[in-house]
Amino acid sequence: MADTVPIIETHALTRDFKATRAVDSLELSIWPGELFGLVGPDGAGKTTTLRLLAGLLDITSGGAELAGYDLARQAEKIKRKIGYMAQRFSLYSELSVVENLSFFAELYDVDPSVLQERTEQLLAFADLTEFRSRRAAHLSGGMQKKLALACTLIHRPQILLLDEPTTGVDPVSRREFWDILGNLHLEGTTIVVSTPYMDEADRCSRVGLMYEGRMIVCADPQSIRAQIQGELIELHTEDWQMASAFVETLPGVLEVQIYGESLHVFVDSADERLPAIEAAFRDQGLVLREARRATARMEEAFISLVTRLDTARRLEKET
Amino acid sequence: MLRRVWSLTVKEFIHLINDWWMPAFMLFGGASELLLVGWATSRPIANLPLMVLDQDRSSASRGVITALENTGTFALHTQAQSMEAIQDALDRGEITAAVIIPPDFDNELASGAGHPSLTVMLNGAESTPATAALRAVKGVVRDLGEKVAFQHLGLSPSEFAGFDVSLRVWFNEELSEAYYMTPAELGLMLEFTVLLFAALSFSRERELGTLEQLLVMPFSSMEIIIGKSIPVALVGLFDFVLMLGAIHFVFGVPVRGSLPLLLILASGYLLVELGKGMVISIVSRTQHQAFLLVMMIGMTDFMFTGYAAPVESMPRIIQIVANIVPAHHWLTILRGILLKGAGLDVLWPHVLALVALGLVIGVFSLRFVRRALD
Ligand SMILES: Nc1ncnc2c1ncn2[C@@H]1O[C@H](COP(=O)(O)OP(=O)(O)OP(=O)(O)O)[C@@H](O)[C@H]1O
Ligand SMILES: [Mg+2]
Repeated sequence: MADTVPIIETHALTRDFKATRAVDSLELSIWPGELFGLVGPDGAGKTTTLRLLAGLLDITSGGAELAGYDLARQAEKIKRKIGYMAQRFSLYSELSVVENLSFFAELYDVDPSVLQERTEQLLAFADLTEFRSRRAAHLSGGMQKKLALACTLIHRPQILLLDEPTTGVDPVSRREFWDILGNLHLEGTTIVVSTPYMDEADRCSRVGLMYEGRMIVCADPQSIRAQIQGELIELHTEDWQMASAFVETLPGVLEVQIYGESLHVFVDSADERLPAIEAAFRDQGLVLREARRATARMEEAFISLVTRLDTARRLEKET
Repeated sequence: MLRRVWSLTVKEFIHLINDWWMPAFMLFGGASELLLVGWATSRPIANLPLMVLDQDRSSASRGVITALENTGTFALHTQAQSMEAIQDALDRGEITAAVIIPPDFDNELASGAGHPSLTVMLNGAESTPATAALRAVKGVVRDLGEKVAFQHLGLSPSEFAGFDVSLRVWFNEELSEAYYMTPAELGLMLEFTVLLFAALSFSRERELGTLEQLLVMPFSSMEIIIGKSIPVALVGLFDFVLMLGAIHFVFGVPVRGSLPLLLILASGYLLVELGKGMVISIVSRTQHQAFLLVMMIGMTDFMFTGYAAPVESMPRIIQIVANIVPAHHWLTILRGILLKGAGLDVLWPHVLALVALGLVIGVFSLRFVRRALD
């Protein structure tokens, strides 16, 4: 990796909307063949970043290069190299599956002699062969997303920019979609994908966490998980409100995250604190259905990071 | 480039076919509206409420009243007993016209040196019925002989100066209003149809979310606009021919000038409106917004077309503004070719104005598409 040049590189890339700085001095290098995950809370600037890279928005300041072309000056060349799927992607719902594919092929000047073969390939790839003549409007949500992906792949883009491609899709379809992405990744396509799902972020080769337009962390999933301080204990309780207030007061507890009925508690040493917590709950008369050690996932890491940023932000505002 | 424009065009047509009400409206909305307006205005005005104050009460005066009724234009409202009653009814808008027959009418009519006269009062607030009423009264009076002097109250004489000449034409040839109304209506319908259709083209894609997809494709803005314009232009032209056929064959509106010239200029005008529609389409976020904008612009243009009142009689400032309204030039051209048989030698200033406006609007819409998503 180190000996190649980045396929996407941004220098202090910035984009302002009237009052907000949606993307703030972004420095990002993505190497060929990476599956890069873009995560961040709502309004962090993920969509804006992807739209800037796709040449849909003008840059306020800074710059970027994609596939060796300058984004500000050679956007038209870049457009042929990328496939972009918008957050609110929609197909031409009156067209059938195959018609949608041929339409995209025509617009991208795909050589008609290879179109037939490529269409079949993509249909098989997206598992849509048997629905080929169905109108896009009559496909399920998951199938629509797969068709959309197939359409953005028809011109064999080097770079895929996908903005929350699986939002609003059922878990099974989500998995299928990511299996397709995995295959593309293996074939060497560079993929940048934004996602609100942390299990998806876990499947990326590298993850960038955006917060208020800035890239806060950018590393592989393991390293991000490793950034969490302490070890994780999962508690299942009857009354999470009372339990969380109580557990925060115990010694050695660094952070508490709430997931429905269960509490994810970060402590300095799980071996040492787990029995102590169980004892404390018993003494307090609080019911503890289950208490066990767990390995931290992206989700905990993400929430931990964002909570820390939010707190820092609040303190900053107050002073 | 051609292939991509072509596939865009084909795609637009597929949209249209599946979205059937839109093309149906485009194709037949204008024509059926025209048939309706033409039909409504082609019938002569009849049964206008008339009040009569007969101070003579002679057989001659009764003859006049019967003659007035027999025109069919009037329905006798009441026989008034006093001037006050007439004044009152006019003020309240109950009657369109009143005829006052003076006490000496019969005598004056009978004597060789007499000056028989009638007084007509009209409700000037409604000019069309008033004009029709006056025309009918004049017709009756003319039959009574040239001797009858004619006096109108409630209208300044200048308002109807020279009316006699046109009265002849209108009355004798029994031409209907459709002849004058439908060409204007035709011109406006073409504007509305093309404007609306074009205005919805981008906002529809924006609403559906497909616009973003279109914009990341390696198209120039020119290609997108051309691809989207071709279907609008084709359907618009077809609509125009259909509407022209309707007013020509159904209401007998003549095409006195050159038909090819008319078609060429109609296509040109259509492109100008199309550019306008594209700009509307790009600035509006939703189809709903686009629709309202089209309505607003259409209504404003309506004023400048001279459809309701002649532009020449409007305030100076409005006359100046009219020059930058494409519909104003278009209607002048349309009326000129249809009714007056005018050619380029007369119409060239308007054609030139349309070309200039078209260029400005075209450049503007090209520059705008790129900004569409910001
Ligand atoms: N077209 C626009 N006009 C004005 N402000 C905008 C526009 N697009 C985005 N913003 C603002 O820029 C900021 C970043 O938005 P962006 O859509 O990039 O966030 P995001 O990370 O994609 O969020 P989400 O998870 O909700 O999709 C937000 O504050 C948003 O309100
Ligand atoms: Mg987004």
